[in-house]
Amino acid sequence: MSTVLMDSGTVAQTVSRMAREIIAGGGGSGEVVLVGIRTRGAPLARRIREEAAAVGVELPLGLLDINLYRDDFNRIGAQAEVRETRIPFSVEGKRVILVDDVLYTGRTARAALDAIIDLGRPQRIELAVLIDRGLRELPIQADFVGLSVPTAATEDISVRLTETDGRDEVLLRKGDEA
Amino acid sequence: MLWLKNAYVVDPIQGVSGVRDVVTRDGRILLLGRNIPADRLADGGEMEVVDCTGKYLFPGFVDAHVHLREPGQENKEDIASGSRAAVRGGVTSLICMANTEPVIDNQALVELVVRRGRQTGLARIYPLAAATKGLRGEELTEMAELQECGAVGFSDDGRGIQNGEIMRLALEYAKITGCPIVSHCEDAALAGQGVMRRGRAAAARGLAGIPATAESVMAARDVLLAGETGGRLHLAHVSTRGTLAALRAGKAAGWDITAEVNPHHLILTDEDVPLTNSSFKVNPPLPSAEDRESLLKALADGTIDMLATDHAPHTWEEKARPFAEAPFGMTALETALPAIWTYLVRPGLLSVERLVEAFARRPAERFALRAGTLRPGAAADMVLFDPDYEETVSAERMASKSANTPFLGRTLRGFPIKTWVEGRLVFER
Amino acid sequence: MNWRRKDLLDLEVLSADEIRLVLDTAVSMKEVLARPVKKLPTLRGKAVSTLFYEPSTRTRLSFETAAKILGADTASLAVAQSSVSKGESLLDTAKTLAAMQVDLVVIRHASAGAPHFLAENLSLSVINAGDGQHAHPTQALLDIFSMREKWGDVAGRKILVVGDILHSRVARSNAVGLSKLGAEVVLVGPPTLLPPEMDYLGVRLAYDFDRELKGADAVMMLRLQLERQRSGLFPSLREYNRLYGLTQERLARLGPDGVVLHPGPINRGVEIMSAAADDARSLIETQVTNGVAVRMALIYLLIGGGTADVVA
Repeated sequence: MSTVLMDSGTVAQTVSRMAREIIAGGGGSGEVVLVGIRTRGAPLARRIREEAAAVGVELPLGLLDINLYRDDFNRIGAQAEVRETRIPFSVEGKRVILVDDVLYTGRTARAALDAIIDLGRPQRIELAVLIDRGLRELPIQADFVGLSVPTAATEDISVRLTETDGRDEVLLRKGDEA
Repeated sequence: MLWLKNAYVVDPIQGVSGVRDVVTRDGRILLLGRNIPADRLADGGEMEVVDCTGKYLFPGFVDAHVHLREPGQENKEDIASGSRAAVRGGVTSLICMANTEPVIDNQALVELVVRRGRQTGLARIYPLAAATKGLRGEELTEMAELQECGAVGFSDDGRGIQNGEIMRLALEYAKITGCPIVSHCEDAALAGQGVMRRGRAAAARGLAGIPATAESVMAARDVLLAGETGGRLHLAHVSTRGTLAALRAGKAAGWDITAEVNPHHLILTDEDVPLTNSSFKVNPPLPSAEDRESLLKALADGTIDMLATDHAPHTWEEKARPFAEAPFGMTALETALPAIWTYLVRPGLLSVERLVEAFARRPAERFALRAGTLRPGAAADMVLFDPDYEETVSAERMASKSANTPFLGRTLRGFPIKTWVEGRLVFER
Repeated sequence: MNWRRKDLLDLEVLSADEIRLVLDTAVSMKEVLARPVKKLPTLRGKAVSTLFYEPSTRTRLSFETAAKILGADTASLAVAQSSVSKGESLLDTAKTLAAMQVDLVVIRHASAGAPHFLAENLSLSVINAGDGQHAHPTQALLDIFSMREKWGDVAGRKILVVGDILHSRVARSNAVGLSKLGAEVVLVGPPTLLPPEMDYLGVRLAYDFDRELKGADAVMMLRLQLERQRSGLFPSLREYNRLYGLTQERLARLGPDGVVLHPGPINRGVEIMSAAADDARSLIETQVTNGVAVRMALIYLLIGGGTADVVA
């Protein structure tokens, strides 16, 4: 059984709202740059940039692969494919907005923070996520949240985006309770 | 007395190939015939009867090329362990090589080998003495006296005699003895640092190659020298078509030349060599597929006179090295007959009659050994062979001290199940 | 595309897709090399050991740099070839490394198959950094990476490998790898250094460098060991250079985006003239940088472990 948390209309509205909040908000005075975390943070960051451009704000966009920074290498499984990190600007002194689809344990965000810090010293790093499903394992929080959904660990959140999955929607699936 | 009933007896000297009974007494063959009536044996005293139905009875095999490593390298093999390995493989007479440490180039060492062989009392051990002192290829050994002490031929096997004049002199001088010079044909400059047969397989493995000519150039030289001197030449471990051409030419000219081939050169090729298994490293190296074909034909048509194993034991530690660093050589006494049966006789590439002729009769004749036949009056050196007996080759089962055989782990079909020397049962499977 | 191999011993066993995965991963690794902080936490706590039985500071340094950038600890065991016979056997040395909980051994050895021998006897990962005349897979991968970086793809390109083919593990591995990716490889050299059995590679063999230059996209010059002349394999350096040396004139005959490669260290004035080595079309320095990136990719793929389901 799965419940639709967002349909394509809601996804579009939410991304648009997040873009406005990012332009308007947060602390700091540095130039704002977007860094999408691969895989689904990348198209989300791209959409945020388009929304911002529509209201006349140009946000530089970079893409980050965090596989080299993960802390779960020793778990059994297939090799994680390392894709290119492409950040065509210096992060030095910038206000970096990390963009991802789901915030869960916080481990991906932790890895992304390490990766960004290796690239330079930003003035400030903020985190934007489409879904915050709770259940954190690290002291990490999001600055911009599309939707907060309290979930259980047995449940599964599935974010689908047109660029990667052919359509926009967010599903909540119950776990194997049987 | 021993009465072997209904065996399939193969003895080319007598022209026998069929079901026969064999009776032995006092270590000798007494009778060989069909359905020997019991009353003919009434006076013989105690009689042991063995039903041999479905089995072959062969004369004990005669291996003209064995390295027993004693004296000096007893960690690889010694005369006792080598003798046990021999009878386990159906070999009841063997000729052992002189490249020990020290080299068997004097009377004392020839006598030592003969004595140790007798003490062990299994296979009959016949030494070859070195053809040149210290195998250095410079000065001839005292061939006449070495023969008196028991040497049945002379050889620097392990290396080729590089100097043609020394080889010519050896062929000349050995005429005093009537014994053959056994030539290990290998031109050292052509062989270079090679570790397997030069060709695509060696190139693909990045291993330095030994060209076929390293053997055949020297074989051609030795054949011509045998012709010129009238000396008696035996070519050891023939492995190339070039050598066969020289051999055919020499034989056609009527010169006194014989040759042997090793089973592994008839069964395996350079393509079979695994980069990480130095048990496939042997000298001369495993041949090309074309050479293997030619060797098989030459054995069948008699160009090659005999089979010999070139049993060359090495310790596990010596062989557990990268291919290029491991020593050359394979053990073979215990696997030769089963491997020949499995890969050559069973598929029809070699007849059983030719097998017995090449691996018993011809080597005995060439080196003047009293062996190789089941003729009444001959020593009762015999092998009872079960063509359907299967065994997986394993290091644990080996009687040899070494197990560097490429057949390790393979299941072979056709094994000796009883071996007698002079009527005594010396091995039973 | 998942990587499932424990070892990298030669390119013969790799599929074209596996080769591409290594090269794609190396692209990401090269990005790291351009950063101000060239250090990743990826292999923190892993131990990489180099075991070089032949001296080669360059290759060893390249592997150690790669391992260190990925966060691994490195130790190097430089063994003079002479101590092998009198001392510990290769197998014993390897077992010692395993007992020290090393995760990956990078081995260079004068004997073909030595890395394969280690890999068969040990559960840890093994990278072949050159075994005798047999294989040098990481060199070939970095060569291919460098050409791919220049052209986008090596398929359909004509690549000449020139020089002492007989003794070259670089030529063998390149011929294998490039052929798998659809390039046309021609091995060029004097007949004494290019024996006919090299056709096992399924590529063309040629003696005439000038004729083959027509339509060539890359020339890979091999280092000529000067002792080959002393062993009689060719009569003089002068004639070798005239027939097989890379000069400016020959360089000028390459295609429009033609490149020059050399595994290094180069013999200026022997197989390659200084001007050609320093020409804009020369990738020789880029090869060194790319060597680190490719070796990072391999080390990561072999001992990175891990799981594909990223926990968000």
